[in-house]
Amino acid sequence: MSRIFRPTLVIVGSFAAIFAPPWVTIICMGLLAFRYPAWEVLFIGLLMDFLWMSELFSPMPIFTITAVILVWGLEPLRKEFLFS
Amino acid sequence: MNLFRRNDGHHGSWAPRPGRHRIILATVIVCALVLVDSLSGGGIRSIARAGGSLVWRWGISIEGAIYGSGFFRTRRALLAENSALTEQVAQFQERAAAYRVLQDENAALREILRVSEISRGKGKDSGITAPIISSFRASPYGTFQIGAGTSDSVSPGNLVLSAEDFVIGRIEVVDAHASLVKEIFAPNTLTDAVLHGVGVAVLGQGGGNARADVPRQADVAVGDPVISATLGSRAIGIVGNVSEDSGNAYRRVQIYLPVNLSVLKFVYIVKQ
Repeated sequence: MSRIFRPTLVIVGSFAAIFAPPWVTIICMGLLAFRYPAWEVLFIGLLMDFLWMSELFSPMPIFTITAVILVWGLEPLRKEFLFS
Repeated sequence: MNLFRRNDGHHGSWAPRPGRHRIILATVIVCALVLVDSLSGGGIRSIARAGGSLVWRWGISIEGAIYGSGFFRTRRALLAENSALTEQVAQFQERAAAYRVLQDENAALREILRVSEISRGKGKDSGITAPIISSFRASPYGTFQIGAGTSDSVSPGNLVLSAEDFVIGRIEVVDAHASLVKEIFAPNTLTDAVLHGVGVAVLGQGGGNARADVPRQADVAVGDPVISATLGSRAIGIVGNVSEDSGNAYRRVQIYLPVNLSVLKFVYIVKQ
C-alpha cells in the first residue's frame, strides 16, 4: 500500500502546486507528513514558494515553513503514536 | 491485563530512525537551495517558474487534446457552453462597469470644465499584449505569470490591465521571456483608491476580491467604480456589496474585479 500511496501523494502534491488551489497541496503535504517520515514534503513546500513568491522573504515563505513544521513537528508524534 | 505500551520494539530508540537521515539531508538541501537562491538574486526561483509554466502549458495542451478527441463529447459540449456563457457574463459585467467608469469620468470632466489631455486610448499605444502562462488559482500569494519579459521591454512596476482597462496587477519580477505579476487584490495587499470622492484603503483578499471601510456618510452603492490615482486613475474594481453595522462609524464595502480571471487568456501591459 505504502509503495503506491506515498509516490501518488508526492506526484499529486507536486502537480497541485502548478495546477490546483493551494489547499490541495497542503492536504497532500499533511497526509504525507502524518503517515510517513516524508522528506518529499520539504521539496513540495519549497517548490510552491519558489513558483509563486515574488521575493523570498516578503511575505514569509509559508509553504516552506509549513513543510518544516509538518516534517519535524510531527516526528515525535509519528514515532510514538502514528503508523511508524 | 497490562495496558502499558510494550517497548520491546525500541531497543535502538537512541539511534536515528532510518527515515530520519533522509529528512535531515532534505532539510540541509532545502536550506542550501534557499541560500543559493538568495545569493543569486532569485536564480533558482526563475528556473522553477520557467519549469512550472512549461508543465502548465503541457497540461493545458494535453487537456485540449483530450477534449478535442471527442472522448468526453457530451461533457465537453456542456463545459464549452458553460465556459462561453461564463465568459459572456464576465464580459457584460466588465463592460457595464467600464461604462460606469466612463460616465463618472465624464461627469467629473464636465464639472471642472477642463478637458484632460490624457485620453484612455492614448496609453494603449505604449503597451503590449501578453499571454497568461500559469494558473490563476494555484498561487497562495496572489501571483501569476505572463509570457513577456525583459526581451519585450517589460519592467517591474508596469501595470497589467484587462481588455476594458481594469487594473489586474503589477509586474513584480521580470525574467527574459516571462514575468511574475502580483494581483492588485492579492491577499493583504493595500491599495489607495477613491470611491465616490472618498479616499479609501482597499485591502485585497485574493481571488479578485477586496474590502474597504468608508465613512457612514459616504454615498456608496453597489456597482460604483473604484478608481486608484496611484495606478494612473484607472479602475481597479466595482462595489459588490455594502454592509452596515449600526454600532460602527464605518460601512464595510466589498469590492470585486469584474473580470473572470479563470477564462482570461491575454492581458495588456502598460508602463505606469
